[in-house]
Amino acid sequence: MTSTLETIKENITTWARLNSPWAIHYNSGSCNGCDIEILATLTPRYDVERFGIKLQGSPRHADILICTGPVTRQSRDRLRRIYDQMPEPKFVMAVGACALSGGVFEGCYNCLGGIDQVLPVNVFVPGCPPRPDAIIHGVVTLLESLKQ
Amino acid sequence: MDAEALLDFDVLEKLLLPWAESVASPEPERVDVVLAAEDLVTAVSTLLDAHWGYLAAITGLDGEQLEVLYHFCQDAAVLTLRVPLPKENPVVPSLCGLIPSATVHEQELMEMFGITVTDTPHTGHLFLPDDWPADVYPLRKEFDASVVVGDGRTAAPSPVEPGSNKFIVPIGPQHPALKEPAHFEFAVDGEIVTDGAVRLGYAHRGIEKATESRTWTQDLYLLERICGICSHIHTLAYVLGVEKLAGVTAPPRAQAIRVLVAELERFHSHLLWFGVAAHEAGFDTLFMYTWRDRETVMDILENLTGNRVNYSANLLGGVKFDVTPEQIEMILEGLDFFDGRIEHYLNVVSHDGMFLQRTRNIGVMTAVQAEQLGCVGPNARASGVTRDVRIEAPYAAYDVFPVEPIIATSGDLEARFMVRLQELQASSTMLRRLLANLPEGELTTRMPRKIKPGETISRVEAPRGELLYFIKSNGANMPDRIKVRTPTLVNMASVMSLAVGHQLADMPMLLAGVDPCFSCNDRAVSVKSVGVDGRIWSWAELRQYGIDWYANK
Repeated sequence: MTSTLETIKENITTWARLNSPWAIHYNSGSCNGCDIEILATLTPRYDVERFGIKLQGSPRHADILICTGPVTRQSRDRLRRIYDQMPEPKFVMAVGACALSGGVFEGCYNCLGGIDQVLPVNVFVPGCPPRPDAIIHGVVTLLESLKQ
Repeated sequence: MDAEALLDFDVLEKLLLPWAESVASPEPERVDVVLAAEDLVTAVSTLLDAHWGYLAAITGLDGEQLEVLYHFCQDAAVLTLRVPLPKENPVVPSLCGLIPSATVHEQELMEMFGITVTDTPHTGHLFLPDDWPADVYPLRKEFDASVVVGDGRTAAPSPVEPGSNKFIVPIGPQHPALKEPAHFEFAVDGEIVTDGAVRLGYAHRGIEKATESRTWTQDLYLLERICGICSHIHTLAYVLGVEKLAGVTAPPRAQAIRVLVAELERFHSHLLWFGVAAHEAGFDTLFMYTWRDRETVMDILENLTGNRVNYSANLLGGVKFDVTPEQIEMILEGLDFFDGRIEHYLNVVSHDGMFLQRTRNIGVMTAVQAEQLGCVGPNARASGVTRDVRIEAPYAAYDVFPVEPIIATSGDLEARFMVRLQELQASSTMLRRLLANLPEGELTTRMPRKIKPGETISRVEAPRGELLYFIKSNGANMPDRIKVRTPTLVNMASVMSLAVGHQLADMPMLLAGVDPCFSCNDRAVSVKSVGVDGRIWSWAELRQYGIDWYANK
C-alpha cells in the first residue's frame, strides 16, 4: 500500500518537475552572445514558456542552472555559490562553445576553462552562439532524460 | 577650435612646446608629443584651458622601456601625450584632479602594468580579482600566467566609509535585472540612494593579452568575441586600424557592406536595449513586442552573413560576402517594417503616462556633467553633447553615406530613449541611400601576412558610443599590443553619479539607461559619496523601531 502511494507521489512530482522547470541564468564570463540568445528563447518567436520553462531571478527557486561563457577567476566562486543555493534535484546546462571548453578564450590568463571544471554539467549545447532552437533542443533533451 | 587648427603645428607648439621633448605626426590626423612625467599635469591643464578635446583613453606600453599614452580626441584629431618611464619604479602623476573620469583608466594602468599613479583616488583592483598576487602585471611582456593562483575573491568596494552605519543594499553579481555579472552596492536612506559603488570584472577574460599571442587573422575572430552584441563593430575598428597600418584600403563596395552590417547591428542592439529597458520599467509587454520585432533584423543578418550573432563579416582587407539584389529587396522590406514600428515606439515612449513616470526627469545629466564624466554615444547625445565618430571622423563609407546627427537636450532617461529610437530612423534613411547606391567592384584586396611596424588609433561609433582601438605592430605576424577602450567603461562612471538622490527602484532603469555592456567593458569601479548621516541598526533595534512606529501611529 505504502509503495503504491509512494509511486503515485513520485509520478506526480516528476510530472510537475517536467512541466514547470524553472531556470536561472548566470554569465560567468561570456561575451553576451549566448546570453542574448537565451533571452531570445523567451520572446515570442521561440517562446520557451510553452514548455513551462520560466527564467527567474533567485537560485533558490530554480531547477536548472543555465551557464554561459568560460569560467573566469572571479566568477568561479560565485558560480559555486549559486549552484549550492539551488534546491535538489538540480541540473546544469552549459550553453555555447566557451561554456563547453573555454572556446576562443582557451589559454587566456583569467579563464579557467569550461563550466564542467567547476560544476557537474547535464547538458552541453555547442555553438558560437547556439541558435535559440538549439538551446530549446538542449532543454527538451534534458527534460526527456528526466522521464526515465 | 577645430581639428585642423590643432593639427597646425604652430598652434600645437604654442600650446605644448614648453614641455614637449619631441613632436611628431605619425598619421595625418594624429599628433604625438613626448613629455616628462613631471610636466604632464601642467600640459594637460593647458590643453583643458584651451578647451581642446577630451581624454579618450590611457594606454600602457611595454617594450624597451615602459610608456604611458594619453589619448585626447577632438573631432577627427587625436593628440597623444607620451610619457616614457623606466622599468624599475615607474611613476606618473594622476590626472583625476583635472579630469575625474581618468580614475578608471589609471586603475587599469596600475594593475595591468604596475605603474604607480600618485594621488589617484582608487587604488584597488579594477578587473582582476582582489587576491591577485602582488607584483604580477598581466600586460607586461614578461608576464607568466602560471604564477597566478588564488581563488579569485572579488568584492565590491564599500560605498560608505569604514565604520559608517548606513544600510547597504547589495545587488549581484547574479541578479534578475541584467543578464551580465556586475556587483553593485547602494547605500540607502529609506528608499533614497545616498551612495553607490560598482565592481565589475566578473567577465574579465584577458583578451588584450591573448591578442599578443595570436596572428593578425586569428585576432579578428578573438576580438569579434569581446562582445556578442556589438561583435561587428569590434572587428570593424580592428580591421580599419590594421589596414591603416599596412597601408591598404579596402574596396568601396567592401566599405559600404561594412557600414551596412554596422547599421543593422545598431538596429538589433538598440532594439535589444529598448526591450530590456522596458522590462526594467516593468513594461514586459513592450519587451516582448520589441524582441519580436528584433527577430526581423536578426533574420536579415542571418540571411546576409549566415549567423545571427557573430557575423564575421569583416576580413583584413575587405568583407567575406556580397549582397545580392534579392537580399537588398529583403533588407528594404525589413526597413519598411521598422519605420512603422519605430514610429509606434516613439509614440509609446513619449506619450505613455506610466512609462513617462519612470523616465521623465529621472537621472538628469546636463551637458556639462556629460562632458566632465567623459560620456560617449547616445548617453552624451541625449544630454546635448554632439559626440558621434560617424560624423566627426567618418570611417569606412560614412564619408560617402553620411548619417544625420540626433541630439536631445533634456538629458533624462526619456531623452535617452528618444535619441536611440530616432537614431534608428536616421540609420534607416541612410541605409536606403546606401542600398540604392551600393558601389560596384571587388570585395577584398590583398593583405600582407606581416604588418609593417607602427602604431595606429582606430575610432568607430559602436551602438553604445565611441569605441577606440590602439594597435601597435612590431613587424611580426602578431600584434605587439592591442588596447581596447569600450564605451561602457566611460559611461558607467556616469551612472553612479546619477544614482545619488534617486529612489532605489529607479536603479534598474538608470543602469539600463546607459545600455551597459559588461562583456565589452569588464572593468570600471566608481565610488560616489555624499555626506548623509546614518547609524547602525541591529535587527533587534530595527524590529523594536518598527513595533514602536506602528504603536505610535
